[in-house]
Amino acid sequence: MFSGIRVSAFLAWKSIQRGSRGTFALTIMIIALIFVNLVFLPSIISGVVVTFETQSIDFDLGNLVVEPREGSRYIDGVDGLQRRLEQIPGITGTSPRIAAGVTFSYRGRSAASTLYGITPEDERSVTRIADYMTAGEFLSGGDTDAIVIGATLAGTEGEEAGGLPSLEGVGVGDSIEVAYPNGLARTYRVKGIFETQSFGVDTAAFVTAREMSGVLGLDDQASMILVKTAVNGREEEYKTEILSYGVQEDVWTFREKSGGFVDQAIQSFNIINAISTLVSLIIAIVVVFIVIFINTVNRRRQIGILKAIGIDQQIIINSYVLQVLFITAVGALVGIVLNAGVSAYLTAYPLVFPGGPVYPDVEASAILRSIASLFAVSVVAGYVPAWRIAREDILTAIRG
Amino acid sequence: MIVAENLTRVYTMGNVEVRALAGVSLKVAKGEFVGIMGASGSGKSTLLHILGLLDRPTSGSVTIDGTDVLGLSDHRRTLFRLNRLGYVFQDYALIGELTALENVYLTPLVRGTPKDEYLERSADILRRVGLGDRMDHRQSELSGGEQQRVAIARALVNSPSILLADEPCANLDSQTSKSILDLFARLNEELDQTIVMVSHEDWHKEYFCRVVTLRDGLIEEVTECRKGA
Repeated sequence: MFSGIRVSAFLAWKSIQRGSRGTFALTIMIIALIFVNLVFLPSIISGVVVTFETQSIDFDLGNLVVEPREGSRYIDGVDGLQRRLEQIPGITGTSPRIAAGVTFSYRGRSAASTLYGITPEDERSVTRIADYMTAGEFLSGGDTDAIVIGATLAGTEGEEAGGLPSLEGVGVGDSIEVAYPNGLARTYRVKGIFETQSFGVDTAAFVTAREMSGVLGLDDQASMILVKTAVNGREEEYKTEILSYGVQEDVWTFREKSGGFVDQAIQSFNIINAISTLVSLIIAIVVVFIVIFINTVNRRRQIGILKAIGIDQQIIINSYVLQVLFITAVGALVGIVLNAGVSAYLTAYPLVFPGGPVYPDVEASAILRSIASLFAVSVVAGYVPAWRIAREDILTAIRG
Repeated sequence: MIVAENLTRVYTMGNVEVRALAGVSLKVAKGEFVGIMGASGSGKSTLLHILGLLDRPTSGSVTIDGTDVLGLSDHRRTLFRLNRLGYVFQDYALIGELTALENVYLTPLVRGTPKDEYLERSADILRRVGLGDRMDHRQSELSGGEQQRVAIARALVNSPSILLADEPCANLDSQTSKSILDLFARLNEELDQTIVMVSHEDWHKEYFCRVVTLRDGLIEEVTECRKGA
């Protein structure tokens, strides 16, 4: 058994060592490119998910959202609830928001979108919008006539925003009019413009909660409270914790709030990925099969001679399988290096998606899965042609 | 000892049946150097292929050292070839990717011989066939005579009980052929090596103990030659 493997390894190594370098290099390159293809798409899909989740947490929803109970429009007793939430270990910030659908008007142009009333200091403890000001400044606690608006809503002079709400050229210092749903209208000076590249956020605007409460006649009320946790990814645990503290309002994780959008997107991406993976693996099977088939056909006589001098056909088959394993291992290694290069490039120059820049997120499991599937198909594709030739009658093989 | 009885071998080529062996019986005793001769198409190579377990007869039986080799499974036949037989092909049949030494030590490697031992034994046998200085050369770097010597060394390295040679001098000039036959004769005399060799050259007869001449798949004549069996 052991000597059989030793002979297979010996024959495989001599064949690699003294066979055609060009064919060897080309085969390895093809395997490497297939490997890159197997890893690249999942890494982009994973990157899209990471981007979406990061954008949701950092700019849109925080980790969790507390909303009014069913049938209520606002959360009452916001200050008290906020204090209770902030007592829970692991919760690092809360930001009450009042939300209203309003119409923004500027120089005869109007756009309908969402206006949020926030407490700037609280908002800074949850979202990072204040860090993404492209012009002007974020709100301060005492602001009453100031507004900060998203870059998409501010727009660019003469450019439509492709169906998104846009005032087409609002700048810092300009005044815009806001028509509230209760019929009241206010004029605010644009204090700052932010750009998060999350289109749901960049089409919104913010005033202080004090100002908005005054307009809407609210007292210690909010449409929602965003909650920031110390650690991402444990939202379900924190939700349970919050509910165990006797919070009566509805509590949602950011994933629940996104209404399955991410799950649907992942499902769609997974279908694309499965097709791409299947095609890649078929290419791998075909390439390895052809290479080994040509190799074995060219060495048909040699295989016959080996059998004639007393070498078992399984040893001969194994020698081809070992060659394939070696080629696949080197191909996968080259693929890992190539993939690292592609990832480094796309980290420096990320793909831009509507939700923001997407960085490839190469998971170890994806690499291991790709290596395993590549090895599996290669072994099969190498075994079959070797087996077909090796089982041939000795004299027929020797005569070629 | 080889005992072949009533061997027939029929090939079917399309609708035509070709009877390569039509009932050959043959005994080869230990230490004999038997030549199988005959015209082209007489069945010499077919007989040797069957004795070398490279082919199966249509009917008949073959016993080698008491083993009914036709009853063996493919795997057992392979092991039998490895352990008991040495085969020299007309066109050398070396593995081109391997050096002379590697070609020779391949079968001891399969048998699980320790490295030191198979290296020493293979080098020794290559020296004995006059290739002590050509061990690290590959097939493409060796002359026809040298390649045939490597093939002989490979056939002998496992000390087979029987050496079968299928026209080993067919592609060699007369001087090289003579040196190969001298080598066979020496092996036969000094080591009592049983040799069955196919040939169609008349002058080879002087090396054989016995000559079996085939014609149309049948034994036409058996002649005692060199020293008598």
